[in-house]
Amino acid sequence: MRNALSVATGKAARWVLHSVLGRSASQVPGRVTLAVDPLAVAHQSARLKRGSIVVCGTNGKTTTTNLVAAALEEGGAHVACNRDGANMLAGVTTALLDADRADWAVLEVDELSCARVLPQLQPTYLLLLNLFRDQLDRAGEIDHVQDTIVGALLLSPGTTLVVCADDPLAQGVAERVREAGMHVVTFGMAEDLGLPPDRVPEGRFCQSCGAELSYEWHAYAQLGKYACPHCSFARPPLDFEGSNVHIDMGQVFLSIARHGGKAHTLHMQHGGTYMAYNLLAVASVASLAGVRASTLQRAVDKYHPHNGRLQRFDMGGREVVLNLAKNPAGLNQNISMLLNDSRPKALLVVVNDEPNDGRDVSWIWDVDFERLAGEEGICLVLAGGHRANDVQVRLKYAGIRAQTVGSVGEAVDAAADLPQETPLYALVNYSALAPARAELERLEAHNG
Amino acid sequence: MAKERSLRIAHLYPELLNLYGDSGNMLVLRKRLEWRQMACHVDEVHVGQLPSLAHADIVFVGGGSDREQRIVCDSLQSARTELAAFVEDGGVLVAVCGGYQLLGHSYTMGDEEVKGLSLVDLYTTRGSPRLVGNVVVKSRISSQPIVGYENHGGRTHLGAGVEPLGKVLGGYGNNGESGEEGCLYKNVLGTYVHGPLLPKNPGVADWILSRALERKYGDAELEPLDDTEELAANQYCAELYTQH
Repeated sequence: MRNALSVATGKAARWVLHSVLGRSASQVPGRVTLAVDPLAVAHQSARLKRGSIVVCGTNGKTTTTNLVAAALEEGGAHVACNRDGANMLAGVTTALLDADRADWAVLEVDELSCARVLPQLQPTYLLLLNLFRDQLDRAGEIDHVQDTIVGALLLSPGTTLVVCADDPLAQGVAERVREAGMHVVTFGMAEDLGLPPDRVPEGRFCQSCGAELSYEWHAYAQLGKYACPHCSFARPPLDFEGSNVHIDMGQVFLSIARHGGKAHTLHMQHGGTYMAYNLLAVASVASLAGVRASTLQRAVDKYHPHNGRLQRFDMGGREVVLNLAKNPAGLNQNISMLLNDSRPKALLVVVNDEPNDGRDVSWIWDVDFERLAGEEGICLVLAGGHRANDVQVRLKYAGIRAQTVGSVGEAVDAAADLPQETPLYALVNYSALAPARAELERLEAHNG
Repeated sequence: MAKERSLRIAHLYPELLNLYGDSGNMLVLRKRLEWRQMACHVDEVHVGQLPSLAHADIVFVGGGSDREQRIVCDSLQSARTELAAFVEDGGVLVAVCGGYQLLGHSYTMGDEEVKGLSLVDLYTTRGSPRLVGNVVVKSRISSQPIVGYENHGGRTHLGAGVEPLGKVLGGYGNNGESGEEGCLYKNVLGTYVHGPLLPKNPGVADWILSRALERKYGDAELEPLDDTEELAANQYCAELYTQH
């Protein structure tokens, strides 16, 4: 009774916000629902016909969540999903308002919110992508994030953890829940991707004994094939493995095989190492949920993000590429992507310090901007956001002269003198993403 | 024509104590020497090694997680005598966040009191909540306010004869109550300010370099640099507390 009332109230709030007021309705309906029924997540979870999949990890949550939901839908399932990335308890509750009509819920959940979501949701699968240093002031040190996820999983003992075993920090979580008797499925790369090394600010030490890990190869950051020289901690055997990986600016190819099974090739029109890992994660959990490889490929083909993740804009002939980069691992990956693009290019780095970005911007000093110094192809560098001055100083000490700009529109103007075939990469952090995207969409419409 | 000058920095346990962009502090010291045609050698001291301070001009200790700080503290106890001699001889030692806490007699980890290096007369207790946020400090060693970010559970208390780095204009500082931040003792600078410390505080960076040059060459003079960008970033942060 209470559940029916809470859901009806939440849906009413969503209708008023969305249809009457034309506002975003990703948080408030969930809050209203929880006010009436604090156990709404548990009650709604019980109404899902098939189950739920939680996507967790520092980088790639939103993209992976959307792809998993798209794959299930392509297979004919009805899916409840927080597609816009509202990933705390209220956002999850809002997404679950549609649980009565859904086969699956696919839910992006913030690492620390796992503690509140998992015990109620009791998901079928938790997909753990990676753990990087992010928002120290809010999330604390990685040890704390790991403890939180382990604690949450132990309160949801029927959940299968699907983990990126190439990340020793994610694997550290997996070892702890496996020891407690939980079911773990691993995925990772079968081979060295042959990428130039980037900075490894954390995760260099054994999760079990603290010795420095040795690596057969690194993929990026602390991801790779590792083993502890002093104890048994090592990259475990893989249940799902990626091979024949080809990554360039515009696309990713990889073959994915379930242990001992047939390999299926997956292709996507978006580049970047992290996209190869996202695809492998999606393919692993989609396969567990019964999605066929051909169905997944169709879903991937149709996937065109309009959420500012690698979103491309046509600015009167000039390409503007907008991407989210909110921590050192993410920005380092974007720098790798940029260096892979052989065209001359302009770069804008935007760093805000709103609470949901992390107020502490010290992380910009863990980004390898030095890799861009002396690159002749980079003809203009701009710094934006509330902390544009901090970014400018960081770049100065990397040997890069940058101008500050007040908005992404100003950056487009600053690039106006460059040849039209010179793209502008706009790498922006969390709170800067939606405004930058809105401004670029407006400018694109105006220019078009 | 001034003779060739150079400085040698011992960076202690960078793989463990690197939490708050500490590599930026090293980069700033190196660049500010190189921009003045002076060489800078950074010797990284790794886990299992002990620092050799005979040729060091500056020792730098950053911040780490509790677990990592504990490893470092245990490892450094055997170098305590050498570190104390370095400090008493006027060696420049810069310690940030967790590194700052290690300088004192003791600090608290969980419920346990851990023995520090006793290089400076101070001690650290644990408090709740963590003291987190932007911080602005007025200090005699810098003509600009010292700006940055603090994030510490520890409450640091200075002994009677220890000078604070400065007076808190905004934020919490050593313990949220004394109105003081950091410590200055001989040529030791301890602070909770990160972000990291030196890029937006060129006055502090140059104080460190000039103290080390004075000790090594008896000549603390530094050629001025164009700090337009650094000062703009400094001013932005200082104004976070004056704008309402």
